[in-house]
Amino acid sequence: MEFKAAKWIFIIGTSISAMILLGLTIDTHRQVTALTHADQLTPQVIAGKAVWEKYNCNDCHTILGFGGYYAPDMTKAYWRLGAEGIKVRVLGPDKVFANSMRKMPKYDLTEEEVKNLIAFLKWVSEIENNNWPPQDQKYKPGVNILVAGVGMSKGAALIKEAGCLACHSLGGVGGLQGPEFEQVKRDKDYIKNYILDPRSINPDATMPAQRVSEEEAEAIAEYIANLKEGRK
Amino acid sequence: MKYESQKIAYPYFVVALLLFVLQVVMGLWLATNYAFTLPQWLVNVFPFSTARAFHTNLLVLWSLLGFMGATYYMIPEESKRELYSKKLAYIQLAALVLVGVTALVTIFINGMGITIDNPWFNFNQGRPLLEIPRWLDLLVVVGALIFLFNVGMTILKGEHWTVTQAMLLTGLITLSLLYLFGIPVYENETIDWYYWWWVIHLWVEGAWELVVASLTAFALIKLTGVNKEVVEKWLYIEIGLFLFTGIAGTGHHYYWLGAPRYWLYVGGVFSALEPLPILLMVIDVFKWTRERKMELVNPLAWTYMGGGALYHFIGAGIWGFMHTLPQINYYTHGSQVTVAHGHLAFFGAYALFNLMFFYFAIPEIKGYRIYDDSRGKLGFWIMIFSMTGIGLAFSGAGILQTYLERVLGLGYMTAQAQMQFWFKAVIGIGIVFFIGVLRTVTDLLTLRPKM
Repeated sequence: MEFKAAKWIFIIGTSISAMILLGLTIDTHRQVTALTHADQLTPQVIAGKAVWEKYNCNDCHTILGFGGYYAPDMTKAYWRLGAEGIKVRVLGPDKVFANSMRKMPKYDLTEEEVKNLIAFLKWVSEIENNNWPPQDQKYKPGVNILVAGVGMSKGAALIKEAGCLACHSLGGVGGLQGPEFEQVKRDKDYIKNYILDPRSINPDATMPAQRVSEEEAEAIAEYIANLKEGRK
Repeated sequence: MKYESQKIAYPYFVVALLLFVLQVVMGLWLATNYAFTLPQWLVNVFPFSTARAFHTNLLVLWSLLGFMGATYYMIPEESKRELYSKKLAYIQLAALVLVGVTALVTIFINGMGITIDNPWFNFNQGRPLLEIPRWLDLLVVVGALIFLFNVGMTILKGEHWTVTQAMLLTGLITLSLLYLFGIPVYENETIDWYYWWWVIHLWVEGAWELVVASLTAFALIKLTGVNKEVVEKWLYIEIGLFLFTGIAGTGHHYYWLGAPRYWLYVGGVFSALEPLPILLMVIDVFKWTRERKMELVNPLAWTYMGGGALYHFIGAGIWGFMHTLPQINYYTHGSQVTVAHGHLAFFGAYALFNLMFFYFAIPEIKGYRIYDDSRGKLGFWIMIFSMTGIGLAFSGAGILQTYLERVLGLGYMTAQAQMQFWFKAVIGIGIVFFIGVLRTVTDLLTLRPKM
């Protein structure tokens, strides 16, 4: 091959690739407003992004799959944990992760910062990103779909959908912070009241009050109470 | 070595090597974080996030210092004149060391929870790999401008304009320009990551490849005596292919961040071709060695060059290809599979390149061509085998994580608990790697002529 030909391979190859990147970047900018719901980028969401960066969260957690691999991905954290679940972890990681083999640093976030952070994570959870990550897609379908489609009891579907398994485990699947559901040796009413307001029963409880209706709490409690009986 | 001012490379190499040691120490500490439970009080003061920022920023800094030192070594010889200003080169080194030390201190303070409520002044940008405070970026820009000015003036005032030089300068200018995309405060998280990859991906799969390929071509000509024009012809083809696949290949980072769906196709197709230019480079290096015009006086530098090319292909080429297709990447994205690829690729493509250049240039700078390389050889092989072990251990962890967490849908920590064995393995093999690094670094700093 001639020296000149090699030079042209370099120039043409590089230019084509650069033009593809630049052209598609322009188009990406056009589409990204709709894909990320950028019209909902409120001052609170933007402030929440600043909180996320201020405390260097991203060097332990991934978001959109990028960052540190030391802690769970935060893309769909809002689906998985809900606002309360995020709040209780950020404000008291020393308590929530007391029994966890991995710890999270306890920083002094203000209530305002936590609110902003939650708004940011909620906004991120709605980005249309080709349904990634796979492991968190299960939090999205509504309870009714599970009840109708899989024939699950309502209590079981709620346990899955309300994010209970972020802290508790069922059949060996789920979080390690709270007790395994199979080990809960309480009756239905006790469990129901505990779900609605844990501190009314145990003032030192680390579990946050759950945002479920009384009826839903009853369905969950019924499921857990029966679980215990079924095991005996 | 023909020009006095080429010696300026040496202090760059020394600082780079010391940072390399520190990087590996941080790596061992990160593995400890994974494998064992640390007390809450320690996590509050020196969390994983701080150590990770140290580990990755040290990697970037020592790689760049190596490239800069190597550039200062090459440019006078190519331009056939002394460096434009030795003084500026020392000022630049001092500026970058100052940036490095300040960044380590500020990131540490931020990790303790001492923060400033302003993204321009906070002690940490909070964006992985670009953690250093934004105000410190100004000093980085000053350092880069001094460097480009010094190198550019040397070339302009010299009597020679070579392809190798032009490629190197293009790579260095592109590298500096791309850094600017990492400085603004972006409001949209998707756009933020979109341009984050213009720094990170277009560096390591674009500008850095350009810089390293040019410097390798220079060393290759010096080591083997093959015809410069032939090497430069292949340099054009290789870099052309690197950039053709690499620039649009940026798309393999745009699958899951909220960008349009066509990136799945663009990223998949172009990045699947990325191993080709690396393979071409491997074939080239071995071909020139076979057809060399002179005796190999520096066999260890050659071992590093051949080993580096092969390792580059394994780490960046094969390990990258394994999870670059969207169908696979959907399950492996952001898992320990990425960690395995990152370690093998950076070690193969950049760490081994720098060490190759150090072994090539330091004997010349010290004024003897033939040196005792028995310790250096031992260091090389310890590092090669142990880094391979680290890559495989992370891969083991990554495959488990992919299956348990992403396919079966187990909770994050439930999956991590199953991966502990592999994290402990990383500590064990990591200690061996550390020994290899110490062996290599002490050897490079105390090279002696062969008796």
